[in-house]
Amino acid sequence: MKEIINNIQEKFKISEVTEQRENQYFISVEKKDTIQLVTYLKDIEKFTNFILLTAVDWIEKGQFQLTYMLNHPSKKLDIGVRTFIERENATMDSAHHLWEHVATFQRELKEMFGIDFPGSPRVDEPFLLEGWDNIPPMRRDFDTKKYSEETYFPRPGRSTNDPAEHMKKKLYPNE
Amino acid sequence: MMNLKDILSPFSAWRNLLKEPVTIKDPLTERPGAPRYRGFHKNDIEKCIGCGTCETICENEAIDLVAVANVDTKNGDSGLRPLVDYGRCCWCALCVDVCTTGSLTMSNEYTWVSNDPEDFRYIPGVDKKEWDNNDLGWKKPDYTLIPTERMDMEEMEPSEREGTFLEIVRGYSRAQAEKEADRCTECGLCVATCPAHMDIPGYIRAVREGDMEEGLRLLYETNPLPEICGRVCTHRCEEVCAVGHSGDPLAIRWLKRYIADQVPFEEYKRILGITSIEENGKKVGIIGAGPSGLSAAYYLRIRGFEVTIYEAKSKGGGMTMYGIPKYRLPMNMLESEIGFLEEIGVKFVYETRVGEDISFDEIYKKHDAVFVGIGFEKPYKINIKGEEQKGALQAISFLDDINKGKKVDIGKKVAIVGGGNVAMDAARVARRLGAEVYMLYRRRVEDMPADSEEIHGAYEEGVQIIPQTIPVEIIGEGGKVKSIQYLMAEMVPDEKGGRPKPVPIEGSEQVLEIDTLIGAIGQEADYGFLPQEYLDKIETNRGRMLVDNNNKTTLDKVYAGGDAVNKTADAISAIADGHRAADAIERMLLV
Repeated sequence: MKEIINNIQEKFKISEVTEQRENQYFISVEKKDTIQLVTYLKDIEKFTNFILLTAVDWIEKGQFQLTYMLNHPSKKLDIGVRTFIERENATMDSAHHLWEHVATFQRELKEMFGIDFPGSPRVDEPFLLEGWDNIPPMRRDFDTKKYSEETYFPRPGRSTNDPAEHMKKKLYPNE
Repeated sequence: MMNLKDILSPFSAWRNLLKEPVTIKDPLTERPGAPRYRGFHKNDIEKCIGCGTCETICENEAIDLVAVANVDTKNGDSGLRPLVDYGRCCWCALCVDVCTTGSLTMSNEYTWVSNDPEDFRYIPGVDKKEWDNNDLGWKKPDYTLIPTERMDMEEMEPSEREGTFLEIVRGYSRAQAEKEADRCTECGLCVATCPAHMDIPGYIRAVREGDMEEGLRLLYETNPLPEICGRVCTHRCEEVCAVGHSGDPLAIRWLKRYIADQVPFEEYKRILGITSIEENGKKVGIIGAGPSGLSAAYYLRIRGFEVTIYEAKSKGGGMTMYGIPKYRLPMNMLESEIGFLEEIGVKFVYETRVGEDISFDEIYKKHDAVFVGIGFEKPYKINIKGEEQKGALQAISFLDDINKGKKVDIGKKVAIVGGGNVAMDAARVARRLGAEVYMLYRRRVEDMPADSEEIHGAYEEGVQIIPQTIPVEIIGEGGKVKSIQYLMAEMVPDEKGGRPKPVPIEGSEQVLEIDTLIGAIGQEADYGFLPQEYLDKIETNRGRMLVDNNNKTTLDKVYAGGDAVNKTADAISAIADGHRAADAIERMLLV
């Protein structure tokens, strides 16, 4: 694995390398080099199995972090390629030409985070949320509780008690 | 191309033909969950304390706390129990993992079907279910979501304590306090137990959020002497702390002290919003500047009353000033808190003993209301032969002398008679003066009324406790104490169901050579200051003034609090008395 990392570092500008386990590394790269690096990993280093593509909302930094997780089937190695993209009008180059099913992950990210992947097949179609009318729900500025209170109604007849208040009522009501 | 392995491998499956199958024979009727499956909840109702931490942690708001028949609300138990709505439950088991007592668990039953959707809302443990006795399922795991260990408090080493009255406890740093505060689940069970009903979860939250000004405001809502209580409170709140059921209880007292220590006294007026007081023209006289009197004075003064405190001694604070040794409560803390009261306009008249320097009648007639917080000043005698000799002291006056800075010669060997906090104070002070200290107590160590940490501290400092001893006679020589004779006692169960009684064992006399004997078997109130006409009107019971739930005595416009009223005899109860009386006086005079 070390050797592969060295090869990558010779060819790409890698800002950070994290050894998670002996057979699992994460490397960080700039947005413009990302798809090129993923292509290199697939075609040259033979990380031929695409596991997943996921995003993290770093709202404080105004950025999304994307992680492409790849696997080397015969050597049993995992590598994660990380990159940051702007949160505002988030767009990323599509990687569906490398593996067909990347399109599905990209469609999910479009719906859940609002990250666009121009050219990715069916990227604008709803993935899970039919008829969604709010900001993408996995964005951290989406208030899940507020949304559920506005959208759904509580079960009638429910009531609860605060232990301290209840004890005051029972044990020392006049103080 | 085919090889031999490809041809033979299908046949290898036959070797399993005679093995026991791992599948379930009749999956339509028999569908057991895995041993650690997270199925329907179970709750041990006896163990549950209704703290509601399960409700708080539930992300789906699936849990309501409801009152339950046959479960009473009492100290340390809200009487509420969790009701689970399975329409919302996602079986994540966080409620089980966080449960403070470990009463809430999950069975591995998951196949229950009912046609009535209302059935899927029930109170585990109260509404009987067939899986209530099912042992399998999810239990509180080995790890814990609430750290079980209290943040250590740095203390002076026991070996360093001889010869010094410096404060033992060093106090928390910010990081320590915030970490300790982080263990609080904010259930609020402690609030009912605190005699002053302080907003404990509120001020602990303030510590966690680093908002000391909010913390101080919350403290002063119910307790104007937090510096004192942060050090010497009997902290009964900690005894009922929910977190204490599966670990150390929260260090509530130390967190209170932390807040009070962070804010400089000069800032108090601004933070508490007492920059100007609108006078209401009513006058209240307070007898005794102990915790109850000071508390009443604060709450009356901020509401515009003209408050005058009459105190026989030269300083305020009462027993906290004169009784509690300075290694537990440094004097400057007390002086600053009293100084703050002076600053907001409470008048202190020191060295004025009511009944001698000023008559009770005058105070009664001059004021619109009177608060009596005289405490228990007069010590009980041991009532054995030889008590009048030189070298036989009373703990209260011994501690008083030491706190005043007087030199007391106690010699090399000292015996203390008693087992309460005053006895512990006297013993630990005597140790600091370099004496060998023996403590004689009638009952067993576990029966001692002193706080466990005081007993622990006494042991640490080398006090030798001799339990089950009954003093018989103080033997003197030339009018000076020389030894104490005592009998060993055996504990005899009380037929009426009370605590076991010590009964002397015949012929078990022992003699202990001593230089000084210190009696600490209790005190009583001294009502000598009251003229007969008032004494007749103020009813007492076993030496304590009778008061109603407004702390009003049986005499018109006279209120009372502190040790001379309540049996718990601690500072926090006295403070609560003062607050209650202040509220009642305000209602009486202004509404």
